[in-house]
Amino acid sequence: MKGDISLSCRDLERFLGEQEERVHALCGVSLDVEAGSLHAVVGPSGCGKSTLLYILGLLDVPDAGSVEIGSTPIAGLSDEELARRRNQLIGFIFQFHFLMEDFTAHENVMIPMRRLGQMSDEEMADRAADLLNAVALGDKLRRQSRHLSGGEQQRVAIARALANDPQVILADEPTGNLDTDNSHRAFELLENIVREREKALLLVTHNRFIADACDWVHEMKDGRIIASHPHGQRISVS
Amino acid sequence: MTAPFYIALRFATHRKRALLLSLVGVVFGVGIFICTQAQTQGFAQFFINSTIGSNGALTLRSRFQPRHEGLVVPTKNVNALPARRNYFEGIHNVSEIMRVSRQFSNVVACSPVLRGNVSARSGFEMTTVELFGIDPPSHLRTTDLAKQIIDGKFDDFTNNTSAVILGYKLADQLEVGCGDSIQLLSPGGEYWRFMVAAIARSGVGAIDSTRVYAQTRVAQRLLKKPYQASMIIYKLRDPDRAPALATHFETLFQHASESWQEREESTLQLFIMLRLSVAITVSLMILLAGFGIFNVLTMLVLSKIREIAILRSMGYRQVDISAIFLWQGALIATVGSLIGCFLGALLTWVVSKVPIHIRGLLYTNHFLVVWDWRHYFWATVLAGIAVFIASYVPAKRAALLQPVDTLRGSSL
Repeated sequence: MKGDISLSCRDLERFLGEQEERVHALCGVSLDVEAGSLHAVVGPSGCGKSTLLYILGLLDVPDAGSVEIGSTPIAGLSDEELARRRNQLIGFIFQFHFLMEDFTAHENVMIPMRRLGQMSDEEMADRAADLLNAVALGDKLRRQSRHLSGGEQQRVAIARALANDPQVILADEPTGNLDTDNSHRAFELLENIVREREKALLLVTHNRFIADACDWVHEMKDGRIIASHPHGQRISVS
Repeated sequence: MTAPFYIALRFATHRKRALLLSLVGVVFGVGIFICTQAQTQGFAQFFINSTIGSNGALTLRSRFQPRHEGLVVPTKNVNALPARRNYFEGIHNVSEIMRVSRQFSNVVACSPVLRGNVSARSGFEMTTVELFGIDPPSHLRTTDLAKQIIDGKFDDFTNNTSAVILGYKLADQLEVGCGDSIQLLSPGGEYWRFMVAAIARSGVGAIDSTRVYAQTRVAQRLLKKPYQASMIIYKLRDPDRAPALATHFETLFQHASESWQEREESTLQLFIMLRLSVAITVSLMILLAGFGIFNVLTMLVLSKIREIAILRSMGYRQVDISAIFLWQGALIATVGSLIGCFLGALLTWVVSKVPIHIRGLLYTNHFLVVWDWRHYFWATVLAGIAVFIASYVPAKRAALLQPVDTLRGSSL
């Protein structure tokens, strides 16, 4: 439901590296992302954006602080339980699309559904085809992912992130590897999906125009969120 | 189809060359294992069949006196041997023992034999032979003697009391054939003349070079024995159970009893050692194939680090990642074993047609093989174990890969 908190974190702390090389990657980060809203995290390289994204995506564990998805706390869950929640509740989109290159576009979108195991092969195939139609790739279902253009591959990645109808979409520079036209097209697609399907989107970006188009922009520096701006307020992005 | 199995199938079929390399090792390992086992067991089985076919699966010999324990209890001495038995030569109650023996379900037939060593002479050739005085009808039911005749007729032996059957190597040595005569030297010092009615080949060198069959009554007179039989030989339904029956007969009849396993122990051990030695050598080949698979799967894991991270980000558990690589191992083991079994059968068939001239311990003109499903089973089990061990480590390594490390390396 719009306005409900889909993803939140409180006082996240994360240290990376060992001994002398130990870095305080996140220092007391707190954030709320509501359903149907787009949040951008911006900041210079190495400021902790990706670290935050991986912790919120349950791929990494914070040294302190808490994460809640749909008001369910995540702390202390087993690898199996974390994996199940990642599969059901979270969709990831990466900068380099990270498709399985031996698989077709259609098969790539079906991979998360296979893990979920709640649909028959026919149902999975139909749903994957619908999702690829939604990202305007209905005519390229059977094409090997490595034979698609960069923009098409990113759209397959978007379709794959939506495969299990997750509450939360986490995108790590989803347009970072695309030209301007494709960047805008991919972002518009994401924006429409988030608005229409009531998803919560948190994206990490260096793209000022994309950040400006989000409902909230969170500026990070040295592992902290130093400012959070609602839509329309001018920000400076490095 | 589970998700890990589906992904494993796709990974495997998209890496055809690596898959082929892994398969080749398993296929040849399994194939050669089957072929070598078929050969070594083939020779052993031929020897067993021949010795049982000639000497029976079980033999009952001299009567022994039951051991008596005296009134004085001997002092405890670990080195003390049990008291020796007193044996009495020959079997006097042959009919009674045979009648009781036939009541046992495992006994197919039994036959009395009077055995003794005499000298045989023909022309200028002379040698020591083992005389088997037999009752032709019962001996035919108990042994394969009729099938072993390679020259002459068994009926000529049955119908003529002064006829003998010679082992083929002995006939060669004495330079006689069917219709010729030989002389056997009795313990009394006189030579008895016999006509060679037939020549037999059991396939076992030790039998074929010494054995002379004569009719019981003639043998009894020649050997000057007061009894009709020095042993009774048995044909059993299940020769593998001969040791248990031998023990039982020994208690029941108070006669020494010996199973074919005990009788041929030294030769059988030789065959077992040979089989084991070959099995170990070929198992090492399968192990080497396992190393090949280990390398292939390790390389595959390294080349799939990114895919593993993606799968983890999509909710695949560590156990799913392990399963993907274990399934690939299982695929290699299954397909490799199947093709290997086919290759093994083909090699076994080809080898069985290879001409070979053996005239020592055994007589054969071609490689002897045994078609036994257990060779295929054990080859498959061995390949399965080797491949599992080879895939376990890469699978475990893949499961423990931290997706964040891979993703961070690509997106910072």
